[in-house]
Amino acid sequence: MGPCHLFASVVISMCCHVFSATAWSVNNFLMTGPKAYLTYTSSVQAGAQGGIQECKHQFEWDRWNCPESPLQLSTHNGLRSATRETSFVHAISAAGVMYTLTKNCSVGDFDNCGCDDSKIGKIGGRAWIWGGCSDNVDFGENVSKEFVDALETGHDSRAAVNLHNNEAGRLAIKETMKRSCKCHGVSGSCSIQTCWLQLSAFRDIGDYLKLKHDQAQKFEMDKRRMRAGNSADNRGAMADAFSTIARTELIYLEDSPDYCTRNVSVGLYGTEGRECLQSGKNLSQWERRSCRRLCHDCGWKVEERRTETVSSCNCKFHWCCTVKCDKCTQVVTKYFCARRDRSRRPPSSMRRRNRVHDA
Amino acid sequence: MAGAIIENMSTKKLVIVGVILLLFQVFSFLVGGLIAPSPTTAVHYLATKCVDVRKHHQKSKWFMPWGPNQCEKIRDFDEATVKMIEANDIVFAVHIPLPNKEMSPWFQFMLVILQFDIAFKLVNQIEEGAVATIDVGLAYRDNTVSDWIEMAHSIEQRKLSCNFTTIKSPENEGRYYECDLLPFMEVGSVAHKYYLLNIRLPVNERKRVNVGIGEIKDIRLVGIHQNGGFTKVWFAMKTFLTPSILIIMVWYWRRITLMTRPPVLLEKVIFALGISMTFINIPVEWFSVGFNWTWMLLFGDIRQGIFYAMLLSFWIIFCGEHLMDQTERNRFAVYWKQVGPIVFGSFCLFIFDMCERGVQLKNPFYSIWASDVGTELAMAFIIVAGICACLYFLFLCFMVFQVFRNISGKRTSLPAMSKARRLHYEGLIFRFKFLMLVTLACAAMTVIFFIISQVNEGHWHWGDYTVQVNSAFFTGIYGMWNLYVFAIMFLYAPSHKRYGDEQSNGDLGVNSGEDIQLTTTITHVDGPTEIYKMTGKEAQE
Repeated sequence: MGPCHLFASVVISMCCHVFSATAWSVNNFLMTGPKAYLTYTSSVQAGAQGGIQECKHQFEWDRWNCPESPLQLSTHNGLRSATRETSFVHAISAAGVMYTLTKNCSVGDFDNCGCDDSKIGKIGGRAWIWGGCSDNVDFGENVSKEFVDALETGHDSRAAVNLHNNEAGRLAIKETMKRSCKCHGVSGSCSIQTCWLQLSAFRDIGDYLKLKHDQAQKFEMDKRRMRAGNSADNRGAMADAFSTIARTELIYLEDSPDYCTRNVSVGLYGTEGRECLQSGKNLSQWERRSCRRLCHDCGWKVEERRTETVSSCNCKFHWCCTVKCDKCTQVVTKYFCARRDRSRRPPSSMRRRNRVHDA
Repeated sequence: MAGAIIENMSTKKLVIVGVILLLFQVFSFLVGGLIAPSPTTAVHYLATKCVDVRKHHQKSKWFMPWGPNQCEKIRDFDEATVKMIEANDIVFAVHIPLPNKEMSPWFQFMLVILQFDIAFKLVNQIEEGAVATIDVGLAYRDNTVSDWIEMAHSIEQRKLSCNFTTIKSPENEGRYYECDLLPFMEVGSVAHKYYLLNIRLPVNERKRVNVGIGEIKDIRLVGIHQNGGFTKVWFAMKTFLTPSILIIMVWYWRRITLMTRPPVLLEKVIFALGISMTFINIPVEWFSVGFNWTWMLLFGDIRQGIFYAMLLSFWIIFCGEHLMDQTERNRFAVYWKQVGPIVFGSFCLFIFDMCERGVQLKNPFYSIWASDVGTELAMAFIIVAGICACLYFLFLCFMVFQVFRNISGKRTSLPAMSKARRLHYEGLIFRFKFLMLVTLACAAMTVIFFIISQVNEGHWHWGDYTVQVNSAFFTGIYGMWNLYVFAIMFLYAPSHKRYGDEQSNGDLGVNSGEDIQLTTTITHVDGPTEIYKMTGKEAQE
């Protein structure tokens, strides 16, 4: 229920922005009028949703777990921040929109993927017959730019950082694309071969962006030039600062707040009540340490809950649609962060104690 | 003086000819690089999942993924599970091309590659040696309103070779397997505007059909066709090259028939090379624009094969005729050992091609690589052809080595020879070295450009210009071998200066006698004469 409302509002706000943007936009493929946007909105919505879902998956065992707060993408209130985490949200949303549009283009949902704006001077069917159209991914990139970047109306450093992260998200798709080739020369030899780039799974893009999130750089500008107050100077300082950062890297302005404690007024939900993983096969180190990270280091204790669940087992699968299963009951142990019964100790001493305990 | 035009040409004229040929060469590269678009285009298609809602499956119904009369769709298979839809009622529909576009005969051919998106699930993994059974139909129409007409229908099997790169743990459920591309369809002509593919993956548990193929999430297709612009440039080039090679061929043959002696083997082989080049050049593809000739792809392969076989044979015979070891040759039968592998290898590839592209004339979904027996058979043909190619190159290298050994042997005895004999041998050596150099240059160019086009992404940006490297490779190399054949026919045609010499120096007695004897022995029209044997021994000493 929550996400639906959020995304509906996000998309509506996006549309409004894009509609208002048409007044001055000169881009060819948007000149067809507002009707064209309506064909994209459902894809944009699905894309943004997919991006947030991926965000949730990637941050499942982090203190910040990509909560749906109205603070994330909304632009109107002054509360929005530009932390390491919001940089990821911007990137993955932009990537999600681009990804979905590109994919839906291959399904045939849109009338004009790729053929209108890329080959200047050759329009429509003739360009297609002469030299083919540009890749669907370029189309996805353009529409994603129009929709997602239009949310950023400001001209301050925050807006610039967000736009940069949107761009980094879109570049992530291009960076993770896989190249495949097919030989079809004489007798199938490689004297002629055709190669193409293919979208990787969205999970791979999420993995890639998570890595970029971990390596995100803090964006710092020349403070003295900023203080001078001259807006032209300001812009110059910003351009200087951006020139040193690669376009694929994520950047942020502010350090992340403490995600352990709950403070709803600034959109922090805390880690109390979160599930974590403690033991089990095939866990990565990051997952194995999730209880320490989410609970112990934050000053919570780990609570063990045993639940009896009914799940399907001995299933017979087909590739689609029919599953014949038995029902089995299993006792599953899950771990959650919970408030300590005793009076709280300072977390630093707690950490030391727990480390010993873990070893 | 005896021999070919090349020996009797002044250096200045030779340079002029070389520069003209080089200009044409540069021109042929530029045509491809600057005018033509990239040779082929790959278009991505994602299949739409349609639901067959009718009670009984009638064969005539086709499912459209979009546009008017589109089918009832489902987004994913969870939806299908909820709605109790069975696997046999799901039809993957792909319309080629995408909306607002149409196919054109200029595309020449259409290949479709199939790729499954299979999600990893711990309880439903891909079994070892899993085979997907695909029930596929292809239909066409030429306007957007008429009914679809069936073109082909087949039940195909494709082996899934997929691997999962990460750990098989519950956390990684939902990640996709990495699967190899599967050949799906190949059509030799694109005569219609719209094509529709309907794919089903029927499940039959008793017969173990489509069981253990994992959880297929999506079917992706990649359609490859030749770009219309490239086809036009290519046709234009062929149309221009055909008369040029034809004219030089006629001129060459007229020159040979003007001579008093019958043509020798080497001259015949050069003429045959010209014929095979013309055979490739003749732009019969123009007809493919008007007619629905699906065999054009196969025919093109055969034409290229004949030319390659001819070119390889020419090199062998050219070396053999310049061996200078006083053995009688000038008969095709002498070269059976060297030409044999070429013929046999070409024949193997021909059979292979017939098995693949020949069968595809009947069933466009056929692939020899899809079945185990077919794969082994195909590999066998290719390996035999490869062995033949190796054998051939061993022979060729050995012959070239022999020629060079004989050349160095002759070098030492050249000053001691009579003038006519010396000129004769010098001519032989020059002709051989010239061709050797040109051939090596052409082969090196082909290899270098081939590597560049394989490594490169397809186009270079040069300021405002975009250079299509792949197109430049095709037109440039094609132009180069045409110029090669042209140059050989022109430069290795018998020189007419000889006739003039013969007429004016007709009374030279012994000397001219020896001269005539030499011209015939170079070319070995009849067996070695006494004089030849004597002088040969003398030369060897």
